[in-house]
Amino acid sequence: MDLIHPHDAGAVCEALREASAAGTRVLPVGGRQHLDKGNPCEIDAELWTTLLDGIEAYDPAEMLVVVRAGTRVGDLRRELEANGQEWPVDVADDATVGGAIAAGVATPRQLRVGMLRDTVVEMEVATGDGRLVKSGARTVKNVTGFDVHRLLTGSLGTLGVITQVALKLRPIPRQRRTLVTSEGGPALGNQLLHGVPLPTAVVAEEHRVAVRLEGWPEEVEEQTAAARKIVACEELDAPFPEPIFPDSPIVVEVAVPPSRLEAALEGRTSWRALMGIGLAWVPVMDADDLASLREAVKTERGIAPVIRGPGGLGAAPVPAPDVQRRIKAALDPAGILAPRRAWI
Amino acid sequence: MADLDAARRELEAALGAEDVLTDPLALRLYARDASMVEGSAGIVAFPTSVEQVVGAMTIAAEHGLNVVPRGSGTGLAGGSTPIDDALVLVTSKMKRIGEVRVEDRLAWIEPGVFNLDVSTHLGPTGFTYAPDPSSQQVSSIGGNVNTNAGGPHCLAYGVTSAHVLALDVVLPDGHLERFGSEGPAAPGYDLRGFVVGSEGTLGVVVGICIRLTPVAPAVRTMLLDFTTVDDCARTVSAIVASGVVPAAMEMMDQGIVRAAEDFAHAGYPTDAAAVLLVEVDGLEAGVAAQAREVEAAATEHGVRTIRIAADGGERALLWKGRKSAFGAVAKIAPHYHLHDCVVPRARLAQMLTGVYAIARKHDLIVTNVFHAGDGNLHPLFSFDRSVPGTLERVLAASDELVRLCVDAGGALSGEHGIGLEKRDFMPLVFSKDDLDAQACLRSAFDPEGRMNPRKVLPDGARCGDFAAAALGRNGALPEGTWI
Repeated sequence: MDLIHPHDAGAVCEALREASAAGTRVLPVGGRQHLDKGNPCEIDAELWTTLLDGIEAYDPAEMLVVVRAGTRVGDLRRELEANGQEWPVDVADDATVGGAIAAGVATPRQLRVGMLRDTVVEMEVATGDGRLVKSGARTVKNVTGFDVHRLLTGSLGTLGVITQVALKLRPIPRQRRTLVTSEGGPALGNQLLHGVPLPTAVVAEEHRVAVRLEGWPEEVEEQTAAARKIVACEELDAPFPEPIFPDSPIVVEVAVPPSRLEAALEGRTSWRALMGIGLAWVPVMDADDLASLREAVKTERGIAPVIRGPGGLGAAPVPAPDVQRRIKAALDPAGILAPRRAWI
Repeated sequence: MADLDAARRELEAALGAEDVLTDPLALRLYARDASMVEGSAGIVAFPTSVEQVVGAMTIAAEHGLNVVPRGSGTGLAGGSTPIDDALVLVTSKMKRIGEVRVEDRLAWIEPGVFNLDVSTHLGPTGFTYAPDPSSQQVSSIGGNVNTNAGGPHCLAYGVTSAHVLALDVVLPDGHLERFGSEGPAAPGYDLRGFVVGSEGTLGVVVGICIRLTPVAPAVRTMLLDFTTVDDCARTVSAIVASGVVPAAMEMMDQGIVRAAEDFAHAGYPTDAAAVLLVEVDGLEAGVAAQAREVEAAATEHGVRTIRIAADGGERALLWKGRKSAFGAVAKIAPHYHLHDCVVPRARLAQMLTGVYAIARKHDLIVTNVFHAGDGNLHPLFSFDRSVPGTLERVLAASDELVRLCVDAGGALSGEHGIGLEKRDFMPLVFSKDDLDAQACLRSAFDPEGRMNPRKVLPDGARCGDFAAAALGRNGALPEGTWI
C-alpha cells in the first residue's frame, strides 16, 4: 500500500493525475473516523488530506468560514468557539472537515440546526483525473451554476478529493442543557418531541430519553418546564452528544421515515433513536444480526449502512443507476477513486 | 430538425387535444417568462399527471425534441424561456396536494401547486413550509424547486433545498425516478440536491416531498426606521454580530417605502431614508430577549423609531407592504428590471452606494428592497421602454451591477437563477474547468442535451467525455432570442 501525503491542493491534483494515468486505485483519507462507512474496496494507495490544514478565511460577522479540508474538526471548533460560533456538525474532534462531509454524517441536532449537507456553501475539489473544480460561493445564499458540492457530500471519496470548503456557521446558543429521564422508549420520546416546544434533539433509548435544549436562557427554562410536566427529568452533566455505543464493535445507522422507526427497531433492546428524524444507531452482534436488522429496515422503507465495523452499506436499489455511473465517470474517468465504496 | 407536426399529433393523443397548444397566441405567450428575454416555443403542453409527463417526455425523446419545463412562469432570469421551437411542458395543471404526514414531518406536493397554497393547506397542522418567495401567491412549488427559491424567512430556515426531502423526476429519456427519500438518508449520490436549483436542465420534477417545519409559538415583527441608508445597512451586521439570527430581516429604501406605502397603507415612515423589517421567532421568552438585542443594535446605529407589531393584523400589514413592493413600483414607471445579487453581509452599505452611483450614471430610477440578512440585494430599475435608448441604458447598468457584485466577493444570483440572462457572466465566477465539470455532470442526466438547452452554462462550456456539441455563437444571447 502506497501513501500519498500532499501538502496542498495542487499536489493533490498532480498525484491524482498520475494515479489516473497509472491506474492506481486511491482512497482519500482524513481523520480515519468514518472509514468503516462504505463498501469494502480494494486500493493501491491512501491519499491523506491532513496536510491540507487550517483556516483560509474567517470573518465572524459573515457567519462563514473557509477551511481546508484536512483541518481537524476539534481545531476548527476551538477557533470558532473563540468567536461565539459553531459549525453544528457533531463528530469526533479527530475527524477532518472534509472527511465528515465526504461521509455525509448525520448530526443529532438536526431538528433545529439542519443537516450537514446544507452547511456546505462552497467547495473546491480535486477530481479523479486531477482537475481542481470549484462550485458554490462564499455567500450564505447562492444559486449560481450547478451545485457540484451536493454530489460530493456523502460521496465517500468516490468522486474526488475535497480540498477546501466554505461552511455556514451559527451563533453558539446562550444556553444549552440536556435533560434525561429515568424511563425510556419511543413512546416517551415521541411525547417529549411533541410536548416540548422546538427541542434541538430528542434522543430515545430503551431506558432513558435525552432532550437537548438550546436557545436563549428564558427559552430553555420554558422548555425545561414543559419537559418536566411530561416526565421527571434530571440535567445531564456530560457533553452532548454522547459517544455512540463506544464499546460496540459493529454499529448500524438506521434511516427510515420517522413514524416507522419503532417498527424497524421492534424486538431490539439496544438502540439510540433521534425522534422526529427517523434515524437510529443500533449495535449488532454479528453478520446474522445485521441481516435481520436490515430485513426489518427494508420492510419499513429505509436503509441500514454500518458506520462502525464490517458490513458495508447494505443492499438498496439506487435510483437512476445510469445517471450515477455517468456522474462517477464525469469526475473520475479512470475509476481510480475508492472503487465500489459508494452505492454504485 | 424535429418533426413538430408528428410530435404534436402524438402529444394530442397522449394528453388530449385541449392540453396541447400550437396556435400563434399560445406560442407567443409561452415564448417568455417574467424576464425580458423572449424566445420561441414550438408546442405548449399541459400534462395533468405524472403518467402524462412520462408520455410527453417519451414522445419528445423519440422526436429529438428539446423540452423546457415551466411552472407559473414567474422566473426572472429567462430559465423557462424556450429557444428554437422547444416543447414547453407547463406543470401548472398538476395541482394536487397529496399526503400530509405530520408524523413523518413531510408532505407530497405536485409541482403546479402555488407556494402560498401549501402553507395555507398546512395551517391547522402546526407545521409550515418555510421558503416564502415574494411571488408565493402565484409561483409554483415546481418552479421554486428548480430555482432553489429563497424568500424572507430563509434567513433562519434555509432555502428550498433544505426543505425538500425527495423529488420524483422524469428524466429526458422518459424514465421516472425518485431522488432522495422520505427518511433522513438515501442510497446513492445526492441527486435530489443536484436537481434542486438546476433550472429545468436535468429533467421534469413531477412530485415534491417537502419537509414540514414546526411553526414557532411566538413571533415579533419590528419595523425600524433610519435617516441614512448606511445606518440601516450597518444595523444588519450589528444584529447578526450580536448573536441573533432573525427569522427574517428585510431592508427597503425610501423609493420602495413610498411606493409600498401608497399601495399597502401599512403606516411605513415615508420620510425615512431606509427601513428594516425584522422578525424574530421562537418561544415567547426567547423572542423578547432577541427583540431586546435587535433594539440595542439598532439604537447603537441611530435608529429613529422602532415599531413593534401589536397583533397578527398589524404584523400582516407590515408584511403586506414588503411583499407587494414589486407590484407597487408599477406606479413609478411602466416597466422594471429586477436584479438579484448576493454579497457578503458586511459589503451591503458599500454595494448600495455603488448601486445608486450606477443608476445616476445611466440616468435611471433605482429602488431597493431585499433580504438584507442574507446579503441578497434586489436593485430594481424602473423605466419606460417606449422611450428610445432607455432599454440600452438599463442593460448597461445591469452589466455594471453584476460586475460590482462579483468585485465585492459576491455571487451572480442569490435566488432568481442564471437562466439566459446571466449565463454569459458565469466565467466571471467560474474557471473553464469549473464550467466544464458542470457541463459534464449535466450531461450525465441528459446525454443528448435536450433539456432546457443553452441555459445556465455559457455556450462553449462543454463536456469532452460526452462530446456535447458547443452550439451557436458566443454572443450575449443565443440566436433566436431577443429582448
